[in-house]
Amino acid sequence: MSNEQAEFADFFRASWEPCLRAVLAVVGSPQLAEDQVAEAFAKAWASWRKVRRHPAPRAWVVRTALNTGASGWRRRSRELPLADHDLIVPGDLGDGLDGSLLTALRRLPPRQREVIALRIFLDLDNDTIARQLGIEAGTVRMHLSRGVMTLRRELMPRTTTGG
Amino acid sequence: MNAGDDMSDSDVLTAVRDSLSGMPLARPPDLDAIMARGRAHRNRRLIPGVTGALAAAAVAALAVTALAPGTHPASRQDGHQPTVQLAAWTVTKVAGGNISVTIRELKDPAGLQNRLRADGVPASVRFASKQNPACRPYPGGTPGNLLTAGPATHLLKRVFPKPYKELSLLPLPRGPRHMQRVHGRPPVLPSLSLKHAVIVINPSALPGNAGVQIGVSSNGSALLLPQVVYASSQCTG
Repeated sequence: MSNEQAEFADFFRASWEPCLRAVLAVVGSPQLAEDQVAEAFAKAWASWRKVRRHPAPRAWVVRTALNTGASGWRRRSRELPLADHDLIVPGDLGDGLDGSLLTALRRLPPRQREVIALRIFLDLDNDTIARQLGIEAGTVRMHLSRGVMTLRRELMPRTTTGG
Repeated sequence: MNAGDDMSDSDVLTAVRDSLSGMPLARPPDLDAIMARGRAHRNRRLIPGVTGALAAAAVAALAVTALAPGTHPASRQDGHQPTVQLAAWTVTKVAGGNISVTIRELKDPAGLQNRLRADGVPASVRFASKQNPACRPYPGGTPGNLLTAGPATHLLKRVFPKPYKELSLLPLPRGPRHMQRVHGRPPVLPSLSLKHAVIVINPSALPGNAGVQIGVSSNGSALLLPQVVYASSQCTG
């Protein structure tokens, strides 16, 4: 295995899970997210000399995966609808997972979900997220603020204290 | 006062991250398959002076030779199994004894058929418009409207407990190219997408004298067609 291959293999092993979780938070379907992230890693290897110099290679993978998904969704709109069972539902989650919170996340506008996913799973700051999404840092702050506000409302009833 | 009022933005994001981080994920796909797929992407970019259908056909050939025809992921101790394999098809045992079949390319039907039979599903698989003549439809085992997303009859709902996904084979318009794909020959403009059909089978719901047939319907639209058929040695093995 060449140095380049070894470098990509290390990147792949270390980044698969956070990238998948970020994409999953946006698309809501585990299988769709897995396929899109796999395809994005394939494209990362195809362009590895560029991606390895990218300031946030994981963000590159996530953005590529989501763009792949957009193409896929456009294709599907001409074919069969996405089946309900393909989305995350509380019953799919393991013990201790907050289904209502995830439902609230899924109800956010896609851009808010994307910003939140990049923040919490890739730990990117506003400026980096802004560069990745091609928007202003102020717009990132706005999406983040609105998304967090919605999610906080979902958390409030369950943390209400008496007296 | 609500405790939620006291949550900082960071607390909220941490709660979301913790919720999603607890969700079990599939095992990463095989690195070799990822890199093979990447090489196919790279080669597509490097073909100079070739445009349109010729370029697409060349990349399709590279992609096909780079990928294994089918996979059957190994079991894991935690019961969660990978569903992502860059291959023509994947067979995965899922919760409740169900078997999930993901088909990405119409390749190696015999391998898929053998895999299903090995997993306890009497099966006949043919990726061609001409089905196995030895297979006879089981009463209530054929969907009425192929374009509906889910099984129609009571039997079909039990044998195929999840709505079908992506049974449509190709986005190409009807015509000669359409039929070429149905018969398994390379189309003039091959699709390189990872479009996949997903069919979930519950083997325990099959009547004792029945099996599953996965074929292709070319009646109007090209669709994968899962059916319940009478089991026989000539049909389902």
